[in-house]
Amino acid sequence: MSETPARSQPIKLNIIDQPLDAYTGGPSSLCPGCGHDQISSVIISAAWENGVEPHRIAKMSGIGCSSKTPAYYLGQAHGFNTVHGRMPSVTTGAAAVNRDLLYLGVSGDGDSASIGIGQLIHAIRRNLDMVYIVENNGVYGLTKGQYSATAEIGSKKKKGKANEQPPIDLCALAINLGCTFVARSFSGSKKQLNALLKAAMSHRGFALIDVISPCVTFNNNDESFRSYGYVKENEVTLHMADYIPQRVPMEEIEVPEGHYRDITLHDGSVIRLETIDADHDPSDAVAALAALHKAADDDHHVTGLLYFDPDMPIMHDNLGLPEASLIDLPADALRPSEAALDAVVARFRGA
Amino acid sequence: MTTIVNDFTLNIATANGTGSQSANLILLQSLFNMGIEVSGKNLFPSNISGLPTWYIVRVSDAGYQAPGDRTHIQVLMNPDTWAEDLADLQPGSVVIWNTDAKMVMDRVDVVSYPVPMTTMARTLNPKLARMVANVIYVGVIAEMLGIEDDAILAAIAGQFKGKASAIDLNTQAYRLGRTFANEELTKADPYAVEARGNPGGRFFIEGNEAAALGAIFGGVQMLAWYPITPSSSLAEGVINYIPKLRTNEHGEATCAVIQAEDELAAAGMVVGAGWAGARGMTATSGPGISLMQEFIGLAYFAEIPSVFWDVNRVGPSTGLPTRTQQSDLQMLYEGSHGDTQHIVLIPGTVEECFEFGWRAFDVSERFQTPVFGLSDLDLGMNRWTCEGFTYPDVPMDRGKVIRDRDVFEAMEDFGRYRDVDGDGIPYRTLPGSGMAPILSRGTGHDPSGKYSEKSHVYLDLMQRLRRKIDGARPHLPAPILREEEECDVGIVYFGSMENSIQEIDDIIESGGRKVSQCRVRSLPLHPEVEDFCARHKTVIVLEINRDGQLWGIMRRELPNHLVDRVHSVAYSDGMPPRASVYAERIIATIEEVEG
Ligand SMILES: Cc1ncc(C[n+]2csc(CCOP(=O)(O)OP(=O)(O)O)c2C)c(N)n1
Ligand code: SF4
Ligand SMILES: [Mg+2]
Repeated sequence: MSETPARSQPIKLNIIDQPLDAYTGGPSSLCPGCGHDQISSVIISAAWENGVEPHRIAKMSGIGCSSKTPAYYLGQAHGFNTVHGRMPSVTTGAAAVNRDLLYLGVSGDGDSASIGIGQLIHAIRRNLDMVYIVENNGVYGLTKGQYSATAEIGSKKKKGKANEQPPIDLCALAINLGCTFVARSFSGSKKQLNALLKAAMSHRGFALIDVISPCVTFNNNDESFRSYGYVKENEVTLHMADYIPQRVPMEEIEVPEGHYRDITLHDGSVIRLETIDADHDPSDAVAALAALHKAADDDHHVTGLLYFDPDMPIMHDNLGLPEASLIDLPADALRPSEAALDAVVARFRGA
Repeated sequence: MTTIVNDFTLNIATANGTGSQSANLILLQSLFNMGIEVSGKNLFPSNISGLPTWYIVRVSDAGYQAPGDRTHIQVLMNPDTWAEDLADLQPGSVVIWNTDAKMVMDRVDVVSYPVPMTTMARTLNPKLARMVANVIYVGVIAEMLGIEDDAILAAIAGQFKGKASAIDLNTQAYRLGRTFANEELTKADPYAVEARGNPGGRFFIEGNEAAALGAIFGGVQMLAWYPITPSSSLAEGVINYIPKLRTNEHGEATCAVIQAEDELAAAGMVVGAGWAGARGMTATSGPGISLMQEFIGLAYFAEIPSVFWDVNRVGPSTGLPTRTQQSDLQMLYEGSHGDTQHIVLIPGTVEECFEFGWRAFDVSERFQTPVFGLSDLDLGMNRWTCEGFTYPDVPMDRGKVIRDRDVFEAMEDFGRYRDVDGDGIPYRTLPGSGMAPILSRGTGHDPSGKYSEKSHVYLDLMQRLRRKIDGARPHLPAPILREEEECDVGIVYFGSMENSIQEIDDIIESGGRKVSQCRVRSLPLHPEVEDFCARHKTVIVLEINRDGQLWGIMRRELPNHLVDRVHSVAYSDGMPPRASVYAERIIATIEEVEG
């Protein structure tokens, strides 16, 4: 075909001449307005802008609404939707034998802060070279709204008990573990998240991004007349127990460095987002922890790049492996020769 | 008194952590060096120091390797078990006892050899006296039984390879014991050993080391493990062989080793490596397999090659962690929730540990499914006579992996889970290839790999998986058959029972009955197992567990007309199998069946 239809606008290509389309995935089946979908769209744009070859990415996830999202981005990449909380170990095994892929993991707060917290901790400890996004909504979305371990004390439900247990702050945990890249962001802060994600993709080591990502369906506040709880209570009138409200995605929110803003969520609750100061030194773990503690005291969520250490050896450095990936080794590099077996046996025979 | 040559059981009672293991291995190896058929079993506690340990040496020209029914020669070192060990002895037994233990030896119906072992050891090395005392009994035994001096010296040299001071100390202690026995003790027992020529090419090796070596020659690319008795030495075997056998010209390893945070993670790493296109394995025991169940199901359903070695110990729960059993078979065969079925390779000898060590990867990649190696503590952690290892006779089988874009493009309508060849085995492409990328998952999926909850899609998938594993049967290790002409009774057994079967067979035959044998070496059952059952009127399924797990599997899988002829003899008391215990039960069962 020699004739191509005239385009009103030329398709924009990235540095490896790929259109944005090369980075998209299938349609999402999440609730309309779910924060997780916003994160997916940032993953698409960040990967495209970074010029990563889309098929050289490995999309990893656990189980949860968040962990379903790899189907919705990077359709040219292989992925593995593993088991609940155990994506880090699968990624560890894959990365050990194929170090040439960009491992991009997505998880939920149930996945990462409860059932899988041990695996998260040990992947950080090994400094596994991967990007690890926690799509943190304070609830178990997929199992319909139980509190997660990141929910704040006093997260209130009019009916039923308020959450009384202190939250696990994954960023503070990671910094204490020596994680080499620790950031927090908000699903609605696409610009900030995009910048952090691009930096994380370029980082050599474990990059944790804890992204506050509101669940529009199982928020914690039953008082809200827009909440799921309200809908449930009124299901007699509505005759629909399974009614999922349609939400427009959250507007984009960017908070200037060193400032904070109050953000009203779908259920009417307010979170206060603060962007860490421009002069915060991300190599200073103590300053990062202080910022996290102070923000928690003030009921803020401090966002931005909190901690960064580019020089730590990664898992591969400690395994004594070749530069080339093990999966690329030919058969004769994997199976020693018959003479080698004879030599072993001769030694047993005492010859 | 007629001399009894090369036919007795020797039992050495010590405490864990006293260094008796190397003395016992010297004794075992010296007998082996004389070309004598000998086997050793370590009955050790789950403890680092202080609890009782027994080492059982069976010397048998008939080649019997089970512990035997009674002890003929008892070495007493441990005050804690002294009275019990002594009480268990039959009249006429021999007792070699450490007088420094300050215990009473009041049996008058046994042959008594008192030896001040610790005092003598103290003259050599006061600090190490407790340990050195063990080598003293080796010297006493050597003298009383007539073990050749050269055989002992070679065993000491082998045990302490090149460590001159250790060789020196142990040699002195051995000589001290031997001289004492020669000068102070008068031989009053009938037991003796006689050389049987050169052991030839044979040598001693533990099953775990053999399996590790097999994995090394099978091209293992990733080992993830979490320590647990009795499997640790399998993983450590792989680790120990990597520097010599699996490094490149720059000294870099061609196999990654990761000590995982737990068995869940170890299994996840194996699945991750398999998904990426590599040969990943783990080694564990029952408790570890219990933790791995979820991943085993994922590997089955998402069709990820992965190799799991289970070195069986006594369950349930923590059970008797340092004792042997065959009780994980069913858990492996049907591991994880939902309808599953897994391939299990079951070695019965150290040669097979090596062979299945490499073959497991071929089978796993060929059938794109988890494959288990099932060994047990007895086979894995004790030393067995080995004839040698056969180098893999086939190139590595990497299965249906499409690495080449031309090949990929020539395929019409590629689908990760499409049954193109009618054997239930689909083709796969690897992450990073850009060819037909899918999101691998443990959720329902259609032939192209897309999420689906449709009934017919699920049904087709489950039927195909069944077809795939069923299709593996003839390709798996066939049973080893030893058939008698009059095919009345056949015994089906598996794994380390191999080491007792000859003696069991001889006991049964001494009662005037001949039985055939069929050693199962894989699940799902090879078609020849059914043929064997069809040829025998009565089939006994013999296993070291309570419930008859293989029997249960056979009853379910054999055609109806054969089910009634299959009977279970299952027994496990935590001890390594003693031939007479099983022989009696077999005879009783046959008599019951025949009415
Ligand atoms: C072993 C196991 N236990 C429980 C579940 C059920 N389950 C599925 S998703 C989920 C929680 C998901 O919460 P989160 O990780 O926060 O993801 P979200 O849905 O909120 O994005 C649970 C408990 C499971 N899939 N597997
Ligand atoms: S339940 Fe919550 S987390 Fe799950 S898709 Fe809906 S909005 Fe998102
Ligand atoms: Mg959640």
